Amino acid sequence: MVSVCFYFQVHQPFRLRKYSVFDIGNNSEYFDEYKNKEVIKKVAKKCYLPTNKLLLKLIRKHKGKFNVSFSLSGVVLEQFEMYAPEVLHSFKELARTGFLNETYYHSLSFLFDKEEFKEQVMLHKQKIKDLFGQEAKVFRNTELIYNNELANFVQGLGYKIILAEGADHILGWRSPNFIYIPKTAENMRLMLKNYKLSDDIAFRFSNKGWIEYPLTVDKYAQWISRANGNGYVVNLFMDYETFGEHQWEDTGIFEFLEHLPKEILKHPDNNFVTVSEAADRYDPVAELDIHHFMSWADIERDLSAWLGNSLQNAAANELYRIGRLVKEAGNPKLLEKWRKLTTSDHFYYMCIKWFSDGDVHKYFNPYDTPYEGFIAFMNVLNDIVIRVRDIKKQKKAVAKQKQEAYTHQADTSSFAHSFISEHPSENLLDIDFTKK
Amino acid sequence: MEKEGGKNLKVLMLGWELPPFFAGGVGVVCYHLSRALCEQGLDITYVMPFGPTMARSDYMKVMVTDHLFPKMRFRLKEVDSLLGAYLTPEDYDEEFRKYLMSLSPKERAKALYGPNVFQEAYLFARKVRLIAMQEDFDIIHAHDHWTFPAAIAAKEATGKPLVVHVHITEFDKTGGASVNQRVYDMEREGMYAADLVIVVSNFIKQRLIDNYGVPEWKIRVVHNAAEPMDKSIFHDASKIKETDKIVLFIGRITLQKGPDYFVEAAKKVLEKDPNVKFIMAGTGDMLPRIIERVAELGIADRFIFPGFVNREEVAKLNKIADVFVMPSVSEPFGIVPLEAMWQETPAIISRQSGVSEVLNHVLKVDFWDISDIASKILALLHYRSLHDQIKHHGSLEVRTLTWEGPAKKCIEVYNELINKGM
Repeated sequence: MVSVCFYFQVHQPFRLRKYSVFDIGNNSEYFDEYKNKEVIKKVAKKCYLPTNKLLLKLIRKHKGKFNVSFSLSGVVLEQFEMYAPEVLHSFKELARTGFLNETYYHSLSFLFDKEEFKEQVMLHKQKIKDLFGQEAKVFRNTELIYNNELANFVQGLGYKIILAEGADHILGWRSPNFIYIPKTAENMRLMLKNYKLSDDIAFRFSNKGWIEYPLTVDKYAQWISRANGNGYVVNLFMDYETFGEHQWEDTGIFEFLEHLPKEILKHPDNNFVTVSEAADRYDPVAELDIHHFMSWADIERDLSAWLGNSLQNAAANELYRIGRLVKEAGNPKLLEKWRKLTTSDHFYYMCIKWFSDGDVHKYFNPYDTPYEGFIAFMNVLNDIVIRVRDIKKQKKAVAKQKQEAYTHQADTSSFAHSFISEHPSENLLDIDFTKK
Repeated sequence: MEKEGGKNLKVLMLGWELPPFFAGGVGVVCYHLSRALCEQGLDITYVMPFGPTMARSDYMKVMVTDHLFPKMRFRLKEVDSLLGAYLTPEDYDEEFRKYLMSLSPKERAKALYGPNVFQEAYLFARKVRLIAMQEDFDIIHAHDHWTFPAAIAAKEATGKPLVVHVHITEFDKTGGASVNQRVYDMEREGMYAADLVIVVSNFIKQRLIDNYGVPEWKIRVVHNAAEPMDKSIFHDASKIKETDKIVLFIGRITLQKGPDYFVEAAKKVLEKDPNVKFIMAGTGDMLPRIIERVAELGIADRFIFPGFVNREEVAKLNKIADVFVMPSVSEPFGIVPLEAMWQETPAIISRQSGVSEVLNHVLKVDFWDISDIASKILALLHYRSLHDQIKHHGSLEVRTLTWEGPAKKCIEVYNELINKGM
């Protein structure tokens, strides 16, 4: 018996404008509304709308025998609400599928600030509940970044199941087609991506140089059935944009998806499950001890796509350092803008691996070079620091007025107890941008 | 390089300058390309104009004793001529006037050189024709337009295939504003007569298609490489650097190089950060205007104009600079940023350049976008990690751009013609 478990990731970042040094202090519009809208509209047309329609048809046709799971980042949901409400509507029609939780901002916050991570997970939980009426038991971290510590932390947030990459270096001889228990979270279940079968669809489907090209449904169904005897569940985890956007319509990807359920279900022992159905149905076979962070990105399957060079590290450290200042300032709008900067894509754009490692990064990069991505990002951080200072000044002025009115009252302004250095770090510009 | 019949491939190369006499990038390119071709086993006879201008710079003597060319595969043929690199018709007139003045009235009557640069090019062609008839070679390779009449003459005399190598066109030099029709005609005549045309970038390939009507099938792109430089060079700039950071421009101060955009960007930089010094090295017809503009903007104290700089000074300036900027309006290739990268100085380069087609670890700008240029200068001066990252990867990148690559591509072009039985 083999269960097939599809989980699709749906995400689009709020891309930044080419925010120049001269914008600092003068312009607090950080995001490229035009471009973001354009991307959402384009991908909606090529991928989200047609694929949703097809999946809905398949779910109805197979009467309960076909189902899938989704994780939609909070930032993509916001953009659907703003730019393409029809896409949101069509996802609501798919509400019988499984919806997962993740960080609202598709961020790396677990690596830098656990409090912030928790807040972002809660924001996402609420958003999914509001939109789809589901309380998710399953958590997937950004880009399937995972380790023991994360499993333990997420268990503390009440989740039962967590997803990760079935990377060779952690599995060794073991198969990704079983349910595991994270070493540090015995009440949790760990499900691993079968990257070979997933990438056959996500990356290799239209590759004419691939020995298995063209990939037909009967060939693929045979590969799935081969898991019989070596596991219970084949986890096919991939970006939803695979359908129609990464693999264009003319590659035949939609026909493939349309005929796949029927072909797999031809074998009476096979079925399709959502992530939580799989974990309910099968017992775990072993404990997995994963100390180092891993992810589903690039060949390295580590963090190097986002935190692999000094630009990325400088930008990320500065971002989370400033985050504490932003929270102290207590301005919800500024906090929201800052949180949009935590989206992992901003760091992906600064990756310079692609100069030698092919063009996957380049395809998704709105900048000419990773350096431009860094400059825009850092310029925005500089502006945020200025906004924080302005808010602080205002608060101080207000506090001073109050103090004058009640001279004996103690200063309760949160800044009085701030432990964060106000000196700019070497990553910030030592320039007075308020000067005109 | 084996060719059919087992003989070495022999090239008759027509150029007009070679280092150490330094007028611009083309001579440097000819030198390194010839050397790399020799290293690939080709025999090269290099024919170049040799006139009073160059004799004054003790040019040939140095070349002849240069042992860098392996196994005497390289022979130099000097042709007495007044032609020089980057010579405009007006420059030639001036050189010719000086030449005449140096002669006694009696000598003037039988002057050696042609009365204008075009006639001189044809005189050069007549001399090259004679050389070509005596020499043994398989292919003619001519660099830029003053040698084109000579190249055509050599081809007509011998029937050997001709490759012309276009480094720059009249359109790039003049910004398209005042194209000299006779120069244009000479360029086009060479391109049309050639069996194949080598260009130094896709940028200039498009130029040839658009402005010269050269068919695309005839054009081969061979990007230039970087000249290995002495990294150990040292210059003490600690006094300046105590207070200021240095932003550098090196190049002829002419319309083509965009010096005016550099100045306007500098003004914007100084509005945010007054502790920056701008060095503009080079001379050219726009220099007085540029100095005037700098004064007008009230930033003269932030500028240094060292005038013409030699190779060693170029290396020193690159070494001490924090940022190098090449804001060229139209740059068929542009080797100057490569020299900066050799000295580990991050470069900002115009997208309107051929070199931007081969570089990843630089910041690219549109020459007209002074705000973007200024913004990127400030970013490089102030974001430590950005500066370090580009410095590191840029200096590695430039070291991978060796002349072996272009030489091999040229050989492919030669073989294409020879195998075609031309």
